[in-house]
Amino acid sequence: MSNETEDAGVRHLMLRSLDRIVEEKAENAAQAADGKPGFPVDLWSALEEAGMTALGEENEGDLGLGNAMALVERAAYHTLPVPLAETILARRLLAKAGIEIPDGALSMAPPSAIRDGKATGVPWASSVTSVVTTTAPDTLALIDAREAASSGFNMAGEPRETIDLGRARIVASAKLADAAKIVEAEGALVRAVQMSGAMSRVLEHGLTWANDRIQFGRPIARFQAIQHLMAELAAEAAAGSAAALMAVEAVAERSDRLAIAIAKARTGEAAGRVCAIAHEVFGAMGFTQEHTLHYATRRLWSWRNEFGSEVQWQAEIGRAIAAGGADSLWATLTAHG
Amino acid sequence: MPEFRFEPVQMPPAATRLRAEVRGFLDEEKAKGTFAPTVGAMVAADPSFSARLGARGYLGMTWPKQYGGHERSALERYVVVEELLAAGAPVMAHWIADRQSGPQILKHGAERVKKMILPEIASGRCFFAIGMSEPDTGSDLASVKTRAVPVEGGFRVTGRKVWTSYAHMAHYVIALVRTGGRPEDRHVGLTQLIVDMKSPGIEVRPIINVYGAHEFNEVAFDDVFVPEDMSVGGIGNGWAMVTSELAFERSGPDRFMSTYPLLVEAFREIGESPNASEAAELGRLVAHLATLRRMSTSIAGMLNEGKSPVTEAALVKDLGTTFEQSIPEITRRLLPLEPRGGGNGQAYDGLQQLAQMQAPCYSIRGGTREILRGMIARGLGLR
Repeated sequence: MSNETEDAGVRHLMLRSLDRIVEEKAENAAQAADGKPGFPVDLWSALEEAGMTALGEENEGDLGLGNAMALVERAAYHTLPVPLAETILARRLLAKAGIEIPDGALSMAPPSAIRDGKATGVPWASSVTSVVTTTAPDTLALIDAREAASSGFNMAGEPRETIDLGRARIVASAKLADAAKIVEAEGALVRAVQMSGAMSRVLEHGLTWANDRIQFGRPIARFQAIQHLMAELAAEAAAGSAAALMAVEAVAERSDRLAIAIAKARTGEAAGRVCAIAHEVFGAMGFTQEHTLHYATRRLWSWRNEFGSEVQWQAEIGRAIAAGGADSLWATLTAHG
Repeated sequence: MPEFRFEPVQMPPAATRLRAEVRGFLDEEKAKGTFAPTVGAMVAADPSFSARLGARGYLGMTWPKQYGGHERSALERYVVVEELLAAGAPVMAHWIADRQSGPQILKHGAERVKKMILPEIASGRCFFAIGMSEPDTGSDLASVKTRAVPVEGGFRVTGRKVWTSYAHMAHYVIALVRTGGRPEDRHVGLTQLIVDMKSPGIEVRPIINVYGAHEFNEVAFDDVFVPEDMSVGGIGNGWAMVTSELAFERSGPDRFMSTYPLLVEAFREIGESPNASEAAELGRLVAHLATLRRMSTSIAGMLNEGKSPVTEAALVKDLGTTFEQSIPEITRRLLPLEPRGGGNGQAYDGLQQLAQMQAPCYSIRGGTREILRGMIARGLGLR
């Protein structure tokens, strides 16, 4: 119990310290980085100095997956335009495969987007020192892609680049059973956690807005139509966050692909509804470049597609249960308490 | 800003053993043919089944032993409840008594009443109905008109309650009545009274529902005597009793598992190799269910710690009833009724038809979706 309390204390301090860094260095970071290659170096250095970029290693001094994901969630809440989730995840994967972990920002290539000698949709490929990829279904590799990446962006204006794998330099590689499946799943896990963070930002933003915006002589929060929309938004955000949290715990305890599938499927679905409702509530105001709502909603629209859309993960869940037979459903749901 | 965190609960080892035990019992019951799984969570009633649950110690589980309880944790009770619902067992006879009336009496009842009633509920031989709604009182509960007039040693109750589920099987009804003031006085002057259904002056008339079943009733009270100590929470405290009672009953698995047996049959019909759209549609429902179960067990943990997660419970009921209503709508797209018929599909077909007709009630009973969203909005600081 005292370990848990200590852990909660560490997490709280870490999150507050992230909030402070954001306040000092990153108030308008998402806006400044929108649709531009590279990332804010000052901000990254501040995160590095605070020890926030190396949480994901599976070795001594590791703060654990729970803390790492809490930090990723908070960074997503702040819509920070840095490869923090990618770096933490890449370090975890390298540790798993026993590959020496390089310093600096890292990224990883979504395995399902590797074909014809190209890896597409790679976050920040040209600005990080190395990228984790799979050269075969059971081989994890670390490549330097800085000279082999061409520019591109997701819907949120975050760098999602294409690597010409023939021109990238392989730094190290190692056998890791099911490497491609593991990278895909762990990528889905961090995107689910990020969506949870971004949805809580949208909810908070929406509540403030509904209480402040006056129409027909009163705050729009007084209208039942708005109240019911916001209640639905809160319910979806809560469900998404519960599913993501559940997966983080499951993965910390055991290898649990089903929990990740459930998390990505549920947060992805929630994200769609949360964005739709938020934009409805914000009206034309929220539909402008000038407004800040879209830094969270465009990320949600992007992240729900990355590392497998909710439909792909839903289908995986459906196939897994069906293969075990109808009566395996309840046993599966209750397998871990 | 309000933040809703659904932290994990650690099921105690005793809960795991209990789960295996309950499954064993349910398998035996099914093997004996005492029930066929049905949808509706709280609609199929079998008093003898309830008595067998009582005999095994599955009712009044968390109550003190001196009142016939078993002093087990809320999480152990949760396990029993969800296993019963997953099996589609006929639990309605004792459901209200075990879930809310018993706990209310334990907390707010007179000592004589606790000793008289609670052991009977725990044995599975005493059932309750809820007398809240009236012909002119639905969601607007504070407008009740049924009156209780003080007389020597108690009250005389006169009025009419409707939509009273299983009043025809109940031994008692807890009625929300006006002991003071007028309907315009709203929350003031309301009292909850435990009324013995054998009392002279009570008449129960069936109200047949949309699918032809006799589940709810109209209960007329004509100068019915109720002893003084049969109030719950004292005279004039009815509103506080009703609202706390409803908050407690909103987050349980009965708020999202009503059509679970239909989901299982849909998996069975589709078989081991679903096509892409079947896999995705069914997988989506599983993702929802797993998430709801997490939220609901998390709330059970909060309640166990003495917290009062009212908004969280409303969130679960809103999401949960939407989910259980969606199961017939989604499975009928995958497995249409029309060209099928006969063969293996009989269990599926029957559940599918019943679930479609029953679904509207899920987001009405226990507080309509609109009332709940209003509560959530209040929790969010919007009203």
